[in-house]
Amino acid sequence: MTLEGFRPSSYLTSETARILETVGNGKAIAAVSGGVDSTVAALVAKRALGDRLFPVFIDTGFLRVGEAESIKTRLGDSSLGLKVKLVKAGGRFLEATKGETSAEEKRKKFRETFYRVLGEEAQKDGCDFIVQGTIAPDWIETQGGIKTQHNILEQVGIDALSTYGFRVVEPISELYKDQVRLLGRHLDVPRDLSERQPFPGPGLLVRCIGAISKKKLDLLKSSTEIVEQKLGPFNYDQYFSGVIENDFVKDAVYDSLEETTAGALGLPPSETRVDVFEDRVTGVKGDTRSYGRLVGIKIQDESRETYGWLPEKLRLAQSGIVEKFVDVTRVAVLVKEKRGGPPLSVIVRAISTRDFMTAAVAQVPWKILKDIAESILKTGDSSRVYYDITPKPPATIEFE
Amino acid sequence: MPPSTPVEKFEAMKADALVMGGGPQSVRSLDALSEELRDVSNLMTKIKLPMLGICVTHQLMATTFGGSTNLAKKPEFGPVEVSVSDEDTILTGLKPSFTAWESHNDEIVSAPPGFKVLASSANCTVQAMRHENRNLFGVQFHPEVYHTPKGASVFKNFLKVVDDYKRA
Repeated sequence: MTLEGFRPSSYLTSETARILETVGNGKAIAAVSGGVDSTVAALVAKRALGDRLFPVFIDTGFLRVGEAESIKTRLGDSSLGLKVKLVKAGGRFLEATKGETSAEEKRKKFRETFYRVLGEEAQKDGCDFIVQGTIAPDWIETQGGIKTQHNILEQVGIDALSTYGFRVVEPISELYKDQVRLLGRHLDVPRDLSERQPFPGPGLLVRCIGAISKKKLDLLKSSTEIVEQKLGPFNYDQYFSGVIENDFVKDAVYDSLEETTAGALGLPPSETRVDVFEDRVTGVKGDTRSYGRLVGIKIQDESRETYGWLPEKLRLAQSGIVEKFVDVTRVAVLVKEKRGGPPLSVIVRAISTRDFMTAAVAQVPWKILKDIAESILKTGDSSRVYYDITPKPPATIEFE
Repeated sequence: MPPSTPVEKFEAMKADALVMGGGPQSVRSLDALSEELRDVSNLMTKIKLPMLGICVTHQLMATTFGGSTNLAKKPEFGPVEVSVSDEDTILTGLKPSFTAWESHNDEIVSAPPGFKVLASSANCTVQAMRHENRNLFGVQFHPEVYHTPKGASVFKNFLKVVDDYKRA
């Protein structure tokens, strides 16, 4: 189904009928996050079920500053009329994911906790069903083994009823993001919500690369605020940051990495420095999950000032590295560093995409990136700020 | 439609053409194909309709008709400049080159007998190919994604082939 061939009104008619048939006289919880997918799914279900739908927002602790309260207010206002119950479960999520370094294990632990909490809420409200905003890329990427999305159960053979005590209703699971946005506009979802940039279900957990810690999470919260504020006016399709520890791989495999990089940039190797981060990041190479390394390139100050953003040369360096080194999925360029700061790096990412299946790197003006880096470093919680220069593929949009 | 669909069903539904998408598999040898891809390979030899293979099914077309596919010396991911040497039908209007999104670890090493190569890139010699006198087409790049801006032209050109085939 293409965007051009998608008719929101007929989709709505058939989907509300299907929901009524599934839920019958029962009641349902709608798991909402404030994102466009879950908001649209809840509104479709509300058309079918009316007062028999109970929207629930779980505060996982991996949310942005002030997010839980502002979304509760936003969804509850008169234009949307979703009266949301806020469930605070940050402690449980942190406990469940602590010490886990593997991106997939973090996602699975998150999913487990998410549905346990939802199941308890469903039981309290006497609901047999959970409505959720799963969309097509979620199950395509989970089934394809690219990454486990937290909102996929039955498509990967998990029986929700016997495992968690409820049945799942997914009103938009066959749609892509652009179709969901169109349906959202048809349902009078205000533009700021229907066009809102995506935020992953597991939230900041999957932007905290490797093991989660309070230090990393706090840095991520403040850098996210800075990035969203500074890049907001540019209308990129998605823009955010990640945090990674400055632990680097020492392996003979990467002996020629510096030469490859300098060659592609047309610079002498003395003017570049290349680091391979220890913690792995998620990518997709040839339609297959690739959980590999992040390479950080530093171009010495003088060269960088001269060459500015260097989009074409950096693109060549990025593709040259990813083609040659099988285990590398991402490349980022250093924007600014501060000697002696805590050994943590912030990676800024901004992309343009329509359907989130492929993505191109946004060409953020270099002086904006510098401004962002200076603001982030000023807080004193990190020592380096990078900009991710990898399209999808070979990287995925999110870091994990 | 799943590749296990019997040929008779395609004939019964009066399909105009067969377009086959990509996937994560490797198709270096016909003996080592997954069941699904064996079905696709069989369809390629049995169905007489115009055909377009994308990415892994482009490679499978080579393996099926006697060419060869192997691990690429340099794989391609994301934007790639594709140079057109022969606009022949499906690449009409795309000379001299266009940007396409790619994602492949394997590539066609030699096109099958009776096929000619239409386009290549710095890393990959067979970006597009067609059979000399049958309507069999293959492209390594992804014309179906948003980030291949000229991708729609490839499909429009292919639909012209289909129209001509139906009239003939």
